[in-house]
Amino acid sequence: MEGVRLTIALIVAVALQWTLRNVFEPLMYIDLPLIVIVYAAVGRNTMRALIFGTAAGLAVDALSGGLLGAGAFAKTLVAYIVSEIARRVYLDNVLLRIPVLAGACIFDDLAVYVLHNMFGQPPVGDLLITAAYSLIGTTVVGTMIFLLLQSFSGTTPRKRKSDFFPPRRNTRRRNPIRLGK
Amino acid sequence: MVERSQTEVWRMAPWLMLALLFINFALMALDARDRTTGQWVVRAWAQTAADFVQSPVTTISSSVSNYFTSISNLRSAQDENTILKERIQELEVEIRQKEDLAAENRRLLSLLDLKEQTQYRVLTARIIGRDPSAWFDSSIINRGSLDGVKLNMPIVTGGGLVGRVTAVSPLTAQVDLITRDKSGVGAVVGEIGGSNALGVVSGTSKKDLLEMRYVSGSVEVSVGQIVYTTGQDGIFPAGLKIGEIVNIVPGSATTPHQIQIRPASRLDSMQEVGVLLYEPPEKTDFEQKLPNAVKRN
Repeated sequence: MEGVRLTIALIVAVALQWTLRNVFEPLMYIDLPLIVIVYAAVGRNTMRALIFGTAAGLAVDALSGGLLGAGAFAKTLVAYIVSEIARRVYLDNVLLRIPVLAGACIFDDLAVYVLHNMFGQPPVGDLLITAAYSLIGTTVVGTMIFLLLQSFSGTTPRKRKSDFFPPRRNTRRRNPIRLGK
Repeated sequence: MVERSQTEVWRMAPWLMLALLFINFALMALDARDRTTGQWVVRAWAQTAADFVQSPVTTISSSVSNYFTSISNLRSAQDENTILKERIQELEVEIRQKEDLAAENRRLLSLLDLKEQTQYRVLTARIIGRDPSAWFDSSIINRGSLDGVKLNMPIVTGGGLVGRVTAVSPLTAQVDLITRDKSGVGAVVGEIGGSNALGVVSGTSKKDLLEMRYVSGSVEVSVGQIVYTTGQDGIFPAGLKIGEIVNIVPGSATTPHQIQIRPASRLDSMQEVGVLLYEPPEKTDFEQKLPNAVKRN
């Protein structure tokens, strides 16, 4: 069920990404598919996040003047790195997800910029300006979406840490006084 | 549905990531190689799918913004009306003069036995989408291969040249602007035949500035002169207005001028454009064999 919800969220995010710039220019700095990908990756859905990264990246690249596959490459890499971080660090708190989203946004922008330059197709946008606006826009909107999602699912908390890691062996304490007996 | 354990997923994830990265890298390499000649099926499909979302959104948003614009315009409507009435009277006189000239032109053409012909057919199109990524500036128009649009066709507005078609789907087409770094347009300062200041106009990463390179330093150019296409690039026809010179760093006998141009069209706020249904003349066999030649299918 969660998979279906996330897939619908990704489709909506891609559709909005296609259209929002035409409605209001500054909205181009909000990377909605990246927010969904990070959300999936933070929820430890590694495989889903990877496939989402490639699919959303290709959908955006296809309508962009950039190289086909550059955005998909960057988003797939971001999905993997975030899911690896989520595997090692407990990230169910929204406050902890904000720096992860910000980092993902910077990494995605840098990867897109480097890849385009590597293939001799430098982007039109200035790296610092575009990355800075994108960082602000994506992090602010992403945080609001994460908070919204948390408030909706507030009564039913997500999987706990204990669901993912084997239970620690509880060794029974022996009474040292009785040890001698 | 096969349920995989978390450990199994974690073991498979790096391999899946590597496979996806490899596919994306291959796509990038192919796209970079066939940038000017290739037509990607993925782009065409995505554009067709996006058209069903973009067209209604653009229609709604433009009608809403038009409504508010018309309300704000009402304030200045009365003053504007008076000015326009005066202008109409001036134009009527001008039209009469032009009609006389047109009639004279027809008489002279028939006298010389020349056929009157329009150079290129223009297809009007609406911009229904802008680049979804913040890194680029391409646009999507609501005309595609079903309307006769083909790859590399020039895009113009009333002001002048805007860009060229870089991808075509049946219903829509993608347009790359001339302000892009990698764009290159064969250009001349002033009227063709009346000037030797030939060069190449390309983007500068700034949205409102173009750069003209390779203009000989010994040729005289000045700020305010208009730059036109020469048609020698094999993509754009000759005589299209590109923009106006705003700054010159003078060259010498051995170094070229560095010329900055302001585009004739307002590229950031255009809503409607024209597609010139122009196909450049076929290249000779020799030209087709050159390593950098644009191959035509």
